[in-house]
Amino acid sequence: MERKNFIRSLMIGAVSTPVIIEACKKSSITDGTSTSGSGTAGTTASTNGTCTVAPTETEGPFPTKVPASYVRSDITDGRTGYKMTVKITVGNLNNNCAALAGALVDIWHCDAEGNYSEYGGSGMQSTNYQSVHFLRGRQTTDANGLVTFTTIFPGWYTGRATHIHVHVYNAAGTSLNVTQIAFPEGSGTSLALVNGYTKGMTGYTYNNADNVFSDDKTGVQIAAVSGTLTAGFDLTFKLNVKA
Amino acid sequence: MPKKVIVLCYRKIIDSTNTNPWDRFVHEDSFAEFKMQAQYYNQPQQYNTFAEMLLHIPEAEKLHFLVSAAITGYLRQLNGIIPDVLDNLGRRFLTFEHFKFEIINSDIRHPEKHKIAINFFSKPLIWHDTIGDQLLVSQHKEEEAEIFTNLFAVQPFVSIHSIKNID
Repeated sequence: MERKNFIRSLMIGAVSTPVIIEACKKSSITDGTSTSGSGTAGTTASTNGTCTVAPTETEGPFPTKVPASYVRSDITDGRTGYKMTVKITVGNLNNNCAALAGALVDIWHCDAEGNYSEYGGSGMQSTNYQSVHFLRGRQTTDANGLVTFTTIFPGWYTGRATHIHVHVYNAAGTSLNVTQIAFPEGSGTSLALVNGYTKGMTGYTYNNADNVFSDDKTGVQIAAVSGTLTAGFDLTFKLNVKA
Repeated sequence: MPKKVIVLCYRKIIDSTNTNPWDRFVHEDSFAEFKMQAQYYNQPQQYNTFAEMLLHIPEAEKLHFLVSAAITGYLRQLNGIIPDVLDNLGRRFLTFEHFKFEIINSDIRHPEKHKIAINFFSKPLIWHDTIGDQLLVSQHKEEEAEIFTNLFAVQPFVSIHSIKNID
């Protein structure tokens, strides 16, 4: 692997000769120019003479515009847990809650152990760039106001009921709503089936004791969740925003 | 000298004066993501600068991490090679898997005040010797009869991040 890199870097070096030819060409063009002059005074300051090695590699790879790594439907990133499909429909309160197309929907939640993807610990800690934003995603609503994510059923952590964070933006990125989705409770519900993964439910905070959901007396923040451990779960939620 | 295994850190600073396309994309997209994500902590939009947000809303510290998702796609385009840092032959030679993204300064009203840093952490290297002002290093791997080496001078914004003595 490392040898391959080394050989690759040699190859990059080998193809740098055309640059020299190009440089010669340039000077031969400037030789013998007419007295009328051309171009305008440049603004590039000299950095010549600074004590550094100049790059001697072929340019590239050429960058292309890429969206944030949040933009994907499957946000699992290798986290293990019971599969869950999340379908969120966004409606517009300013239009009789009709479907809002083109809105950006961010969701994020914790893994089976109750941990979020984030930088941990000290300021010196680095992260592998391949899998750093697990269980965080962004989708754009379709003509029906719908976004779909594939993920795992969230775990829980001390002090909070199981939940999914949602942040809805308009197409220009202006925040329209920040909220959280709660899960139905009681025997036979997905929450009871998953049973807190390996943690169990001892010490669990239920919705009516949760500092975010306890004031939701009508259950407007509680999603509809169906499914089984083997088949996975389907969560649906309607979220109305002022757009 | 006894052999040492080192990890180098290159802190690449990007602001509105950077001109190459990769740097421009990283600057633009991290600014756009900052404006979006900052709204979560900054409700209603009370503060304009990242410094004010950090001062008044300590959780805004998470924005370093949250905004980093805007640039991981660009990190992938580097194919695991740290940019800008050259050996004495003028070639990029450092490989990386780990990084840390930082927002140095930003202001939701002014993209030109947006300044960020990407810390690239090299894969471990063996530091064999020091020749003049240059370090002689090679990729850290199982011993072979012959190993390929790179000779390089430590440039500004490059530091030795960690060190370990071996044999």
